[in-house]
Amino acid sequence: MSASRPRTLEQIETILRKTLRTLGEVIYGMTVYDWVHELNSARNEQERLFSLIVYGDLLGIPILPPYYTLRLLPYLVPTLENWRRSMLRERDFTDIINQEVG
Amino acid sequence: MNAIIVLLLAALGIGVGYFLYARNIDRNIVQPNPDKATPAKMYMDGVDFTPASRNVLFGYQFKSVAALAPLTGPVIAVQWGWLPALLWILLGVFFIGWAQDYGAMIMGVRREGETMGALSYKLISPRARTILMIFIYFYLLLIMGAFGNAVGKVLMTNPKVPFGIIAVVLMGMLAGQMTYKYRQDIILTSIVTVVLTFVGIWISTLPFMSNLFSAIYGLPESPKILLGNTQAQVIGTLLMIIFCYLGAVLPIWSFAQPVNYVSFWIVTLGMVGGVIGLLIWHPGMGDFPAVTQFTTASGPLWPMLFVTIACGAISGWHSLVSTSGTARQLEKETDALPVGGGAMFLEGAFAIIAFLTATVAFGGWQGYQDAGGAGAALAVFAGGLAQFLNRIGVPLVFGTAYGSVFLTIMAVTIMQLVVRFMRVASAELIGDSVPVMKNIHVGSIVALLLTLLFVWVIPWLAIWGAFGGANQLMAGLALLLIALWLMSEGRSHNWAFYPAIFMIVTDLAALLYIAYTNLLVKLPAAATGQAALAAALVGIICLVLVVAALVLIWDGWQAIQRTRAVKPAKA
Repeated sequence: MSASRPRTLEQIETILRKTLRTLGEVIYGMTVYDWVHELNSARNEQERLFSLIVYGDLLGIPILPPYYTLRLLPYLVPTLENWRRSMLRERDFTDIINQEVG
Repeated sequence: MNAIIVLLLAALGIGVGYFLYARNIDRNIVQPNPDKATPAKMYMDGVDFTPASRNVLFGYQFKSVAALAPLTGPVIAVQWGWLPALLWILLGVFFIGWAQDYGAMIMGVRREGETMGALSYKLISPRARTILMIFIYFYLLLIMGAFGNAVGKVLMTNPKVPFGIIAVVLMGMLAGQMTYKYRQDIILTSIVTVVLTFVGIWISTLPFMSNLFSAIYGLPESPKILLGNTQAQVIGTLLMIIFCYLGAVLPIWSFAQPVNYVSFWIVTLGMVGGVIGLLIWHPGMGDFPAVTQFTTASGPLWPMLFVTIACGAISGWHSLVSTSGTARQLEKETDALPVGGGAMFLEGAFAIIAFLTATVAFGGWQGYQDAGGAGAALAVFAGGLAQFLNRIGVPLVFGTAYGSVFLTIMAVTIMQLVVRFMRVASAELIGDSVPVMKNIHVGSIVALLLTLLFVWVIPWLAIWGAFGGANQLMAGLALLLIALWLMSEGRSHNWAFYPAIFMIVTDLAALLYIAYTNLLVKLPAAATGQAALAAALVGIICLVLVVAALVLIWDGWQAIQRTRAVKPAKA
């Protein structure tokens, strides 16, 4: 009896923690998530642009590879495939619609 | 009927809809695989594709889809009586609303994060994307007209409102400064800016401030100075236009997002307080009739009721948000139902609260009419919310001003985004032939001038019907696209196809009805040039939307025939 009570309390505590964490995540999603997402997007766009300037030749843009291309190449390798896809992906107006307006 | 019974019915409908109907389709037809890599993981680039947890995305999706229409539509729709409005909210979200949001989201995930433009290009026809763009531009224009009308010509004309709006904008800018420049903690920033905003709203109700705006507006008898609009309406509209312009041309993270963030708390605290007040008060509907008459000022119950309540039951714009926004952030395929479907069911509950502000807050039918009725839907909602807040001790004067600021800020935060979308759409549509349209200021100013024309010339209810028709027709087309995708994968598609047929037929009928009444009834009978222009504008836009939709349907039908002709390859 005495052993089961602490276990029950622990279970209640676990459930409460989970509920609070879920609620916190939902509120985060409703409040600052899109703000954070937008800032990250802006920063990553800058990095994407920098990569384009340094590695434009990888996309067929005739930029002579500068000295920095080789120095920076190891840092780009892990993201190279997604960077190329992101740069070459066809986009249209519906890409920017991420918010209900009605 | 008592408010508590309505809330229980809504909870039952949402529970059965989500846990039985939606989950059954998700598990047995779509069969999401939690181990399959989603586009967010495969193509993560930190810009468009970024994985996020299910709970965070649920909050994000709900915030993204819950705008002003679910609060406005039900208040207008109760003019046919409470029963048709309640049934359409519950059945609409049960059979159609969640199916579209969830279907579009899972389709986006399975099609490598493609958006509606690319999907319509590939699944229907190359010209479908261009037609969709034209459709979207007119839709955006109608939204600007509808919300601009409500804000500039009704809400902002109350001298107790403008300073509250200015306070929200200033506090939003302060939130941006505190975050970026002073690098303050978000909790401290939130507390300071939200508390100061409430102080601003309170100051706006004080006599010295309302007297100041009364003097600016020329009240109590504000003179008519432009196209039959009073000085208060013209100044109110111009204030709104300046705000929209700033929101459209400044970087989104520097102005629009901090303002939206502060607004979110103002709106959420109002809604939570209102619901608590409603639960404490739990009034009945009094003499509010279950059904009034088949034809009201907005037209016949079918098809007009189904376009009057758009978001809250079903909204076409959600399909765009679900594919381009959330589908690219889902960590697992199994998250699509709680995020897409769950957020839509919650929006249905949001619409029920709005429904109750009209039906129970004023004691019955006469109270609803006295508060302004369908023609002043936002004022009715603000008054109803004030009644609910009054039950938790908020004075009616403050509550009414707060409700008006709440709605105004909700509308203008949406409108600044609409102008942004309009300038991008116009640049893409005609930017090659008219290069100046690629300039952000020119694109925004053109959009805002068109808005002014709509706001100052066309009556509110005329625009609302056309806006609802365009929105719902887009939902029908999105459902058709989902059905096509399901067919191409050899999956059962009836759960999307039949709602698509219903929505397309109903919304084409609604747009044709609006075109008919404007071009063949109102236009010949117009007493002034302004009334004639208003009728002609609304009628022609509806016809353009009908023609665009018919071309899309024709192409869609041919795509269905093509899909049926080839043996489906089950994914």
